[in-house]
Amino acid sequence: MRALFLFLLLAVPLGSLATPVAPPDSAGAPTAKHWFHPRHLLLQTGGGIGMVAAGAGYSYWHKRVSTDVLVGYVPKRHAGSKLTIVTLKASYSPVRLPLTADWQLTPLTVGAYGSYTIGLQNPGEPNQYPDDYYWFSRTLRYGPLLGSSIAYTAWPTSSDHSRSLAFYYELGTNDLYLHSYLTNRHSLRPSQLLTLAIGLKMNL
Amino acid sequence: MRSSSQHVRRVGGALVAGSWLMGCSLLESSPNQAYAPADEQYQTSRNLARLAAQPPSHHGDTVRFVLVGDSQRFYDETEDFVASVNQQPRIDFVAIAGDISDFGLGREMHWIHRRLQKLHVPYLTVIGNHDELGNGRAAYQKHFGPLNYSFVYQGTRFICLDTNGREYGFNGRVPDLEWLGQQLADTTGIARTVVISHVPPNDADFDPKLVQPYTQLLRRHPQVALHLGAHIHRFTAGQPFHDGLTYLTAYPLKKRRYHVLTLWGQRYFRLETISYAKVR
Repeated sequence: MRALFLFLLLAVPLGSLATPVAPPDSAGAPTAKHWFHPRHLLLQTGGGIGMVAAGAGYSYWHKRVSTDVLVGYVPKRHAGSKLTIVTLKASYSPVRLPLTADWQLTPLTVGAYGSYTIGLQNPGEPNQYPDDYYWFSRTLRYGPLLGSSIAYTAWPTSSDHSRSLAFYYELGTNDLYLHSYLTNRHSLRPSQLLTLAIGLKMNL
Repeated sequence: MRSSSQHVRRVGGALVAGSWLMGCSLLESSPNQAYAPADEQYQTSRNLARLAAQPPSHHGDTVRFVLVGDSQRFYDETEDFVASVNQQPRIDFVAIAGDISDFGLGREMHWIHRRLQKLHVPYLTVIGNHDELGNGRAAYQKHFGPLNYSFVYQGTRFICLDTNGREYGFNGRVPDLEWLGQQLADTTGIARTVVISHVPPNDADFDPKLVQPYTQLLRRHPQVALHLGAHIHRFTAGQPFHDGLTYLTAYPLKKRRYHVLTLWGQRYFRLETISYAKVR
């Protein structure tokens, strides 16, 4: 319950970014952006990286490749302790299909992520175990992603640039679920490994 | 007033819908989350209620149960294990002596439960070191229940307790000797006591500060008939502390072998070993 509230709370400032700042005399001139200015903002839920996760990212190569940083939150009630999850995500979207003047479909996005979880009850301390006691990390997860998105372009900031808001979903999994599957291919089904993320992406 | 209460109701509805979405396992907040579907929560108390309701397999003071350890990430084998146990006649329950999961993740506990729930008899678990990784303790509590609990069946007190001291950095509080002492002292209507834990006290993962107080405490209670453990992934039986108390460690599930333990009288027990073939 608190999560949805937080989601909405975070969605409001993101939404306010959608209101274009009137550029009175920049008509015609492409919006110059410093390299460090993020090209998009993200807000999502699920995907194993937070009940709510917010982030920013960059896109390259005609917006086909994207790299994002997200910070996620899981409340104590849902995990036994309050978790903060920092995620790096890279994705590739080969095709963008214009549906109408304003709507655009990205049918396929493939990617990978790595996440680091802060706040685990038993993350493993130095000297807690003999060497190589557990072969896997408790804090670091990584896995593949696959998804789609649909974007609405409605806020022109200049003659050749518009802000857009995309809704996306991602199906993913993580290294430990994959390892479980690879050692139990008779009784686990690939669908049982899946996690779902849904989110909003504001292209600036 | 009216509009504000309507508003509250609308927000409440949205929040309920939101929490349902959060709750569904696909939309996972973290693999370390402590979520279980409502009908899969608190298996320990559910199985204890089933055990209390079912007629005992034997007359008198005899109790007969299956012992196995370390189901961790052996889902193929768990299915075969369940098929084999379901063929055994006159079993009261199945005891899994810890390491239900491999990574301490709730989804693993869900996967194991989905297989163990096909057992014809109740199953009971004790927490293992792998179940305590990350936020595994919280996930275990949600899926199964308390880390320390005891129950009485057929004149036998079974004490199931967390002995995974290393997972607490050997903080001197695990196993909880005060709680254990209280359980051991309660002998009303009890012919014998059986202790089930994951890490046995003669293992390096048991809090070294507590080995002596733990074994002394058990020694002071002559009704303790057996100490059952797992963790070391092989069957052992002996009296490592030379005090007349038998310590036994179970086969791990992946060995496709398990024990059937029959207890009667104060300290009599019979140990049968069952091997089962790979079904596929």
